[in-house]
Formats: sequence, structure tokens, C-alpha cells
Amino acid sequence: MDLLAQVLANGILLGGLYAVMALGLALVWGVLNIVNLAHGSFIMLGAYCSWHLFHYLHVDPFLGLPITAVVMFALGYGVQRGLLNLIVRAPMFNTLLLTFGLDVVLTYLAQLAFSADFRAINPGYAGSQVHWGPMVLPLVRLGAFAVALALTVGMWLFLLHTRLGRAIRATAQNLVAARLHGVEPRHLYALTFAIGIALAGTAGGLYGTVSQINPYIGASLTLKSFAIAIIGGLDNPLGVLVGGLFLGVVEALTTLYVGPTFVDVASFGILALVLIVRPTGLLGRTT
Amino acid sequence: MQLKPSLLLSSFFAAIVAMTPAAAALAQDIVLGASVQLTGPVANTGRYYRDAYQMAIDKINADGGVKVDGKAHKLALKLYDNQSDVNLSVRQYTQLVTQDKVNLLLGGFASNFQLADSVVSEKYKIPMVQGGGASNEIFSRGFKYIFGTLAPASNYFGSTIQMMKALKDPPKSVALLYADDSFDVSTADGTRALLKSAGFNLVMDERYSSNTSDFSTLLSQVKAKNVDAVLVAGHETEILNFVRNAKSLAIAPKLYSFTVGVPSEDFRKALGKDADYAFGMTAWLPEASLKDRWFGDAEQFAKAYKAKYGYDPDYHAASGAADVEALVMAIEKAGSLNPQKVRDALASSQFDSLYGPIAFAANGQINLPQLVIQVQNGQVAEVYNAKGFVTPPKYPMPAWNAR
Repeated sequence: MDLLAQVLANGILLGGLYAVMALGLALVWGVLNIVNLAHGSFIMLGAYCSWHLFHYLHVDPFLGLPITAVVMFALGYGVQRGLLNLIVRAPMFNTLLLTFGLDVVLTYLAQLAFSADFRAINPGYAGSQVHWGPMVLPLVRLGAFAVALALTVGMWLFLLHTRLGRAIRATAQNLVAARLHGVEPRHLYALTFAIGIALAGTAGGLYGTVSQINPYIGASLTLKSFAIAIIGGLDNPLGVLVGGLFLGVVEALTTLYVGPTFVDVASFGILALVLIVRPTGLLGRTT
Repeated sequence: MQLKPSLLLSSFFAAIVAMTPAAAALAQDIVLGASVQLTGPVANTGRYYRDAYQMAIDKINADGGVKVDGKAHKLALKLYDNQSDVNLSVRQYTQLVTQDKVNLLLGGFASNFQLADSVVSEKYKIPMVQGGGASNEIFSRGFKYIFGTLAPASNYFGSTIQMMKALKDPPKSVALLYADDSFDVSTADGTRALLKSAGFNLVMDERYSSNTSDFSTLLSQVKAKNVDAVLVAGHETEILNFVRNAKSLAIAPKLYSFTVGVPSEDFRKALGKDADYAFGMTAWLPEASLKDRWFGDAEQFAKAYKAKYGYDPDYHAASGAADVEALVMAIEKAGSLNPQKVRDALASSQFDSLYGPIAFAANGQINLPQLVIQVQNGQVAEVYNAKGFVTPPKYPMPAWNAR
């Protein structure tokens, strides 16, 4: 019983991290209708950004997150205005190709700049835990989970209650109507993409504190984010949170009861099931 | 920081140019071909082979080259980057043989690559000496043209298990965790049998998916089952995550040992102090007792390597350098560049190298004992070899908060 509780806790904590990773992908996909295949590479770049802050300037990885977010926001804004905007009206296939190419370029630039060596963000408290009943909760994972919750709820409130958030949702729902009401899509798209990339970068910073960083972590993270976005649904950050937690718990339970080889079978099996049964995500449409 | 497409593009081309090795000069006589992981997820191990091959070839050329029929020939390397992609690697070997017409082949890293690449060398009957694939699968198909200088995967944990029996207050329960690829499955099959005959109680035997990044659940099981010793056969990324997860969950078995990572400088750098107490194995340490025709001895090789490339070589690099030497010795012995003759000379190789004594079994694989090593205060210490303990092992591993 203790083991089950611990494994569930592991899954939930991991799921929180998964949710932040997918948040940006779902936002960009939902609003710009771009499945950003370079999403994982932006997570990787965010992780390197945090690692450099930590390693050279000794900035605490959690305190460094806002800096990483700002840097990645600027990068995202630039990439959208300079690159993605060129094909924003193009068919889905073109955006897939372009973001795939971007992914390759970012990965190889990262190897040139940072080498293929492994890095880890290892603050002094990386070995600290909170004991809660029979469960051991790693402090860094708790921290990452708290950031994930805060970001998800923050995003939700932002989209629901701010002028910019409403404009983003309006554009996602009906571009023509939004334009008639004075929304300028070019700027708005760039802002949305920038927010998405800032979220990816933040996720990268968190990822670097619990896992390891190398230029090639992106592809599998994109895949995972993709699955979570599908499972959780695109138009509500809370759905992404549910999707992330769900996937984290499913992976943990699969490892415990079925065997660790079958983790991907389980998670992508669920992905297929959701697409068949509930194509709008677990929470469905909220509007 | 606006990234213009043109800037991205030009950097991309710069990257491609930088990664393309200098074209092998045609004037040179003996061309060795290889496809190695210079980019992609295992690039950090692939580089050992590129650097070791180049260094051995430069050294041999500086020393007068290879003598065939009394005439000295220079060696050249034709190297492709397979981007850590097995399919690409097979295509590149086919290209090396059919279009580039290289004389002989060297391997890249990892068993799953050698397993596929050796089909090309077998088909075209060009001998390949590879120092990156240890899986028994590679050598169990009756192939005649593949030679390997890594000790068999099935015996990677052999010396570790012997050491475990010899420890004071030896561990009783053991967990065996392994990734689902050729090398690690081979390792696990061998280890399972060795553990059984040594009388250990195997309480966990789990195969995990090769891209696993989270080991919390497996570690929680290790704790719940009160496992004394954890043996992990996997890739360096997984081992790093395993150690980090263990620390974050404060799980410290009496010992853990890993098939990869421990001998690599990169691993110890990434983990810092947390790398301490990790056991591993290596068939090679840079010791002056390993004499070599070209480099003097292994210690000098390691020094020259570090000076040239800025990082310490590990057994992958030594194995790679030995591959070049094995080919050169075989060419000289055969007195010919004829692939069949070189193949036969390779099969009866017998010489001392910086990597150890080189001799291949009938299946083409070398057999070298694995030395048990442990990270102690950030340094790799040789703990146990065929003769017994060398440096006292730090055992049992203390709790994470007592370090």
C-alpha cells in the first residue's frame, strides 16, 4: 500500500512537469493552428538557459525561471515574426515542415554551441525531501509541481479575464470577427507564440533540475507534449494540466503493474483512445 | 534576439561544413572507412571513435606508415556522420564499400549499429574491426568479417558479481534493470545466469524502454523490496537520470553498478559529487604496463589524447585505437591489402596494444576481463580485478544525507 501511495505521488509530481511542457504547445496549436514540432527544442534551449544561469552566475534554478522565460519570450517573438509568420496562412503541412526544419536546426546549433555533453542543474537542495506519511516527496519535484500549478492556473485566468487573453481566445475562435473588433493578428500571433515559447523555456528550466540536458532531449519531449495536448484538449490550460497528471499517473502505474517496457504502449494507447472517444480532450470544450 | 531565417540558414550550412570531415586524400594508399555518431543522441560517445581513429592513424603515419611488401603506405580515414541513425549508418557503409572503395572498415559505437553494419561487411567480404559493440548477438551469427574489441556483454557484470561475493557483509538481494536494446538485453541475459550461479537472490528483474527518463517508480520498488545491490544495464542518459532520481528520493542501496557512464569524464562532470560511490566496469585503464608499438604505453596514449582533444579517453577510445592497430598489424602480417587475406590475418591476431592483448576468438570477439571501478571523491578508482581487491571499495554506500 505504501508503495502504491509512493508510486502515485511520483506519477502526480511528474505529471505536473509534463503539464508545463505541454502548455505552450497546446496554446500555440490552439490559437495559431501550428503544431510546433520544434517545441521540444525550445524546452531544451530553456534548459540550457537555466543551466548557464545556474552554472556561471549561480542563479537558483527556480529564481532563474523568470529570466529564462523572458529570454525565451523574446526568442519566440522573433521566430514568429521572422519565420513562422511567413507561412501562417499556408496549409498545415507547410507549418509542419517548417517547424520540423527549425527543430533540426536548433538541435544542431545547440550541439555546436553546447557540445553533446550531458548537463544537469544540481542545486544544493536537490537531495532534500519532504516526508508525508509513508511518502517521500523530492523537494525539487514539489517545486516544479508548484510552478506547474501556478502557471496553469495563471494561464487559465489570463485567458479568461485579461483583455489580451480574451483577444487571443477570440482569434482562436474566429479570426474575422476578432479583426472586426480591432485585434491585430500579426502582433497577437507573435505574442501568443512568444508566450508559448516562454512556457516551453520555463518547462526546460524545471526539466533540467529533475533530469539531464543534452541537445537531443527535444524530440521525445515534443512527442510527450503532443500526447498530453491531445489527451487534455487544446482550448483550456486546465485540460492540459489534467492531461499531464493523467499521463504521469498512467506511466507510473504501468511501470509498477505491467512493466517499464510498456510505458509508451500505455501512453500512446490512451492517446489513440482519446482521439477516438473524446477528440476534444478529456475535459472537452469549455466555452 | 531576432533570428532571421537567413542567419539560421547560414549557420546551418556552416554546421554542415564543420561536421564534414576533410575528404580523404586520394593519393594515400590505404583508406579505412567508418560511420560514426558525430551528432545525435549518442554523439558524446561517438566522438571517442572519431578522435581515437584519427589519432592512431596520425601516429602510425608519423611512424612511417604501414609496410606492405617492403613498401610504406600511408593510412587515411574516410569518416561519415551517421547522426546516431542505424539506417543511415548501413547506407553509409554500403557507400563506403561500393562507391568510396575503401580498403577496410572500422566500426562506430553501440551494438545495435554493429549488428546492422556487420551485415554490409559480411555481404561485401570486407573485414570490419569495431570497438563499439559488445552484444553477443553480433558474434553469434557465424559471420566471418566482423571483429570486435569490446569484451562480451554477457560478462560485463561478471567481475562485479565476483567482487560482491568477496565483500564484507555481502549484498543478498539484487535488482537487475536493463534497457530493451541488443547490448543491454545481452548483458542482462548473461548477468541473470551469473547471479544465479553465484547464489544471489534476484528480487527485481525489469526491462525498461530505452528512452525512459524517469526512474522514480522503479526506485520506489527498489526501496520497497529492500534491495541491497542494483545492477543497471543502460545508456548514459538513463544512468544519469537514475542517479539523480535516487538522490531526489533519498534511496541508497548498499551498492549500485552501471554498465556505462562511470569510466567517462562527462558522466562525473554532469553529476559532480553525486557520482561518488557508483560502481562500474572497464576493460581498460590508462596504465603504463600496457605496452604499445606506436604509443609506447597506455598512459602515454591517454596523455597525448587528452592533450590533443581536451578530454580524457575511456575504454571506448582505447578500443577504437586498438581497432586501427589490429587492422594495420593484420595488413602487415598478410603482406597484402586483399580483404580475404587481411581477414585471415586478423583472425590469428596476437599482439600487445595500449588496450591490452589483442586476440580474437573464433566468433570474432575479443575476451578481456572487466576491472571493477568506483567513483571515489570524483576520481575513478580500480577496486577489483582478477587477482582481488586493489583500492578498498567504499561499501556500503552511505545514505544521501550522510555524504
